Amino acid sequence: MRPATLRNSGGVTPRVRVSRTRVATAHVLLLAASGLMLVPFIWLLCASLRPADAFFQDLFLPTRDGHVAFDLLTLASFERLFDMAGFGRSLLNSIFLSSTTAILGTLVAAMGGYALARFRFRGSKACTVLVLAAVTIPGPLLMAPGYQFLYRLGLLDSFWGVILPAIAPAFGVFLFRQAILSAVPQELLEAARLDGSGEVNTFFVVALPLVRPMVATFLMIMFLGTWNNFVGPQVVLQTPEKFPLSVAIAQLKSTYYQDYGLQMAGTLVSIVPVLILFMFLQREFVDGLAAGAVKE
Amino acid sequence: MRAASIADVPGAQPRLAPWLFLSPFLLVFLVFTAYPLVQAMVLSLQQTFGPQHTRFVGLRNFQFLFSDPLFWTALRNTVVYSLGSLLIQLPLSLGLAMLLETPGLRGGRLYRVILFSPSLVGVSFAAMIFAVIFEKRTGLLNVALHRTIGWNLDFAWLERHVMPALIVASLWMWVGFNMTYFSAALKNVRRDLLEAAEIDGAGPWRRFLHVTIPEISPVAGFVVLLSMIGSFQLFELPYLLLNSTAGPGNRGMTIVLYLYQTGFENSDLGYASAIGWVLGLLLIVMTVFQRVLVRRSEAA
Amino acid sequence: MEAASLHPSFGVKVQRVTPAWVRHRLERLGLVATVTSPVVLAFALLSLASFTAMMVWPIPSREGKTMWLGAPPHFRMYEPMVAEWNKTHESRFRLVLLSQPALERRMLSAFTSGTPAADILEVERRPAARAFMGPLEGVGFVDLTDRLRVEGLLDELNGPSFTPWTSRGRTFGLPHDVHSVMLGYRADIVEAAGIDVSQIETWEDYFRIMKPLLQGPGSTQERYLLNLWETHGDHIELLLLQAGGGFFDPQDRPIIASEVNAHVLAKIISWCVGPDRVCGDAPNFMASGNRLKVEGYVLASFMPDWMCGIYRGEMPQLGGKLKLMPLPAWERGGRRTSVWGGSMIGISKSGVRTPEDFEKSWAFAKELYLSPSLARTLYEVGDIVTPVKSHWGDPIFDRPDAYFSGQPKGRMYLDLAPQVPARSSSPYNTMAWLRVADAATALASWARDNQKFDYVDILPEAKRVLAQAHGQVQAQIDRNVFLSDAAKSGGVP
Repeated sequence: MRPATLRNSGGVTPRVRVSRTRVATAHVLLLAASGLMLVPFIWLLCASLRPADAFFQDLFLPTRDGHVAFDLLTLASFERLFDMAGFGRSLLNSIFLSSTTAILGTLVAAMGGYALARFRFRGSKACTVLVLAAVTIPGPLLMAPGYQFLYRLGLLDSFWGVILPAIAPAFGVFLFRQAILSAVPQELLEAARLDGSGEVNTFFVVALPLVRPMVATFLMIMFLGTWNNFVGPQVVLQTPEKFPLSVAIAQLKSTYYQDYGLQMAGTLVSIVPVLILFMFLQREFVDGLAAGAVKE
Repeated sequence: MRAASIADVPGAQPRLAPWLFLSPFLLVFLVFTAYPLVQAMVLSLQQTFGPQHTRFVGLRNFQFLFSDPLFWTALRNTVVYSLGSLLIQLPLSLGLAMLLETPGLRGGRLYRVILFSPSLVGVSFAAMIFAVIFEKRTGLLNVALHRTIGWNLDFAWLERHVMPALIVASLWMWVGFNMTYFSAALKNVRRDLLEAAEIDGAGPWRRFLHVTIPEISPVAGFVVLLSMIGSFQLFELPYLLLNSTAGPGNRGMTIVLYLYQTGFENSDLGYASAIGWVLGLLLIVMTVFQRVLVRRSEAA
Repeated sequence: MEAASLHPSFGVKVQRVTPAWVRHRLERLGLVATVTSPVVLAFALLSLASFTAMMVWPIPSREGKTMWLGAPPHFRMYEPMVAEWNKTHESRFRLVLLSQPALERRMLSAFTSGTPAADILEVERRPAARAFMGPLEGVGFVDLTDRLRVEGLLDELNGPSFTPWTSRGRTFGLPHDVHSVMLGYRADIVEAAGIDVSQIETWEDYFRIMKPLLQGPGSTQERYLLNLWETHGDHIELLLLQAGGGFFDPQDRPIIASEVNAHVLAKIISWCVGPDRVCGDAPNFMASGNRLKVEGYVLASFMPDWMCGIYRGEMPQLGGKLKLMPLPAWERGGRRTSVWGGSMIGISKSGVRTPEDFEKSWAFAKELYLSPSLARTLYEVGDIVTPVKSHWGDPIFDRPDAYFSGQPKGRMYLDLAPQVPARSSSPYNTMAWLRVADAATALASWARDNQKFDYVDILPEAKRVLAQAHGQVQAQIDRNVFLSDAAKSGGVP
């Protein structure tokens, strides 16, 4: 029996009974779950539009005498945010850091995963184990030695000091290894070599396109990770003009004095680009995530 | 005809090529991860307040660790969190994924996007919002529960029930992510097996147990492993949520939080490295254990 | 062999292939398809665009010396002064604002492994103490003791203000503040009830006289007499210091399990537990706490001078409703104030390569911290009173403050300045503070679990939990191989 007809992705419509009640129940439960997931976002939106002086009096929307007062909604917090010196610059820094780290990290991980998946060589087992073990290393353990080491390499206060340590993602190598194992058959590669394709050509032209979803996914994962990271950059980068957005937002919070409206507006602004990116790229992203997990 | 390839025999696998592809990763890894890691190992055998003031103390850091009540509190909290997270989050993710597979369901894509979106926002946002949610008296959760079921407004989530609060917060963050993995796995469950089971008279629960679960077990194993490793490394969420502390009575103390406190707040890098090593060993043991289990169950 | 189970989204069907097929199809689609997949394109575009933008928008390179600080309000206050300095002096200085954790990490790394440090650092009490962890000659700040003595600054500034920056007899920083603490209370509520606060001298007096206003657990509108809870580590520390207790003696030996500490802790917990509790939890620095304060959930709260600015900025609704009074003492004739917080300015050794470097930085630091204009700005903008005694005569401090019902609060804080208790500079201070906070929460849990709400019942357990905290801190100190035996049992190494 040919397997293609039995798996859903083979394009054969399965014979199923659609039960109205089951669909309705599913909708109710999914709506409830979605609602709960969205509550924090709604709160953030309301919080960034509330006037700062009466910030904590209301839970969501500003009220006056018990009734929701839509006229009190204000963009003042956002104005203060954009007036903040260096805001635009930090946004630019974030875009640069995140996109560059994403591309380089994905390339490195894809190459590494390709090597471990489709080559038999001495040390491949060892390297695979190394990659798996690397996933278990806790970040703070490396913070202090890592920082000193960057200093010795002369990479402090440089974007490369932030980018380079991040582009050897063990998790990524692992994911690409899975994806390539499941989507790129050995014969295809051998056929390409027989045909005279060089190794580099084989990788970029034959193998990589077949794991396009994983490429999309991992680009997104790396972008997200870098975009939201404020711990490393703030310590490595010494010039304030080089700080990314995440650091600028983190600095809005000081222990003793809070401009709540500003913080909320800042947080909203820092998550909107990511959400937009995700909405455009979500299809490939979700497909890719799925591709990375299936084969063991 | 194209130019000759690197290999001397056409079609044969070249010898250098794998290392060529691995080299960027290995280079960056060795330089920025392995080398500091080795330094951390050396540090764990020392006490240091700077290069001029470093002294070798052998295994003393480790000895102190094993009798340090704070470390055991951290370990206990971390284990409780990981188990709780695993036992609650994964079934929920699986459940949501199965709901999305309901035949005839429309709008699945929109649900997927919404349920996945919390994974995008980063720990700072999650910590900030859950600090607001879990506050006493004015927090969203207590107010909502108080107004609907008369819950005690003064219920102190972040003082006495920190781990459950953390489980809920990380649930919000990661359930959509895990759900996506399970969705992919469910899509690949072989229909013929399900249909055969149905024909044999098995009800939905038994079909689930004997067909679905075994079919998705590779993915489930992967998700479990990822979750465990992630849970054991929990740090930023409690640290930010509890205002840069470990919470009253250290109820929010996790292993990595203790590592951070020791290394950066007490500037005892040697001891912090020792903690890091113990954690690393623990994780390796767990990973090996899990893979052995998976291999056993696949053989069966 | 069979096909892969998941198809790539652009639909190339993977099957048993022939070389020619490979060459044709994949050559055309492969690389192109990968590169032009929307995702990859999007990221490549972003990267290139931002890179170009960065090239075109260069960062001005700045010469001169840097100063690191962690408090945004200070940054705003200093900016005009620094600009003025740069205009009139040949040495130029630049302020760099960091978040507290980043500042601490950079400072520690700089002092312990020689990574770059700013020439001048402004740090708060707890991070500063970590610089004193190792031997005295290893402290990363320049020893200012002799210079301070020669220039008469040790007398010119409020004595207690130097204590957190002085380790083993040597001073490493210029103090920023006095930070005396008063009690800020809801005058509108208190006076409406006809209560006269001038009668209050001790904590006993306070709770007795304010009792009629208490609306405890179970009331429709709860109102407590004091904002204090077992989780308020800062409040507990300031109360311990007020009573003459604390964590370390002047020789940096732990005194956590002292009688005074046990007495104070037991009192505090007895006020916070049980159906007759008089204290409530309105967390500081949080929107939720602010709301509770405005609603009158707590009648009074601890107000160091800097807290006034926070109230003014975050709770304008309380304007004209609050008044300040010196803290009730722990015994008749006892101390009427305490201390909370503190910052210093220090000169890093790594920034001083020549004696001129030190002179430049030292002149700048003095100008920043000791100038009359800063003293005024500090008070006007941040409500902070200066430690420089010669500025205490400035009429700005006698100005009636409308927010505090017209009280000359500056003068009130300054009058308490000499009574401010000494703060320890021990590097183990944070650890001790954490362990004592643990002890407080453990004690409160014990009290609630065992239904012990009276001071006498709580006292033995208070002694026990403090002894435990003491033991833990002592164990950590004993572990430290750099502290000589002399230091461990007392005395200077």
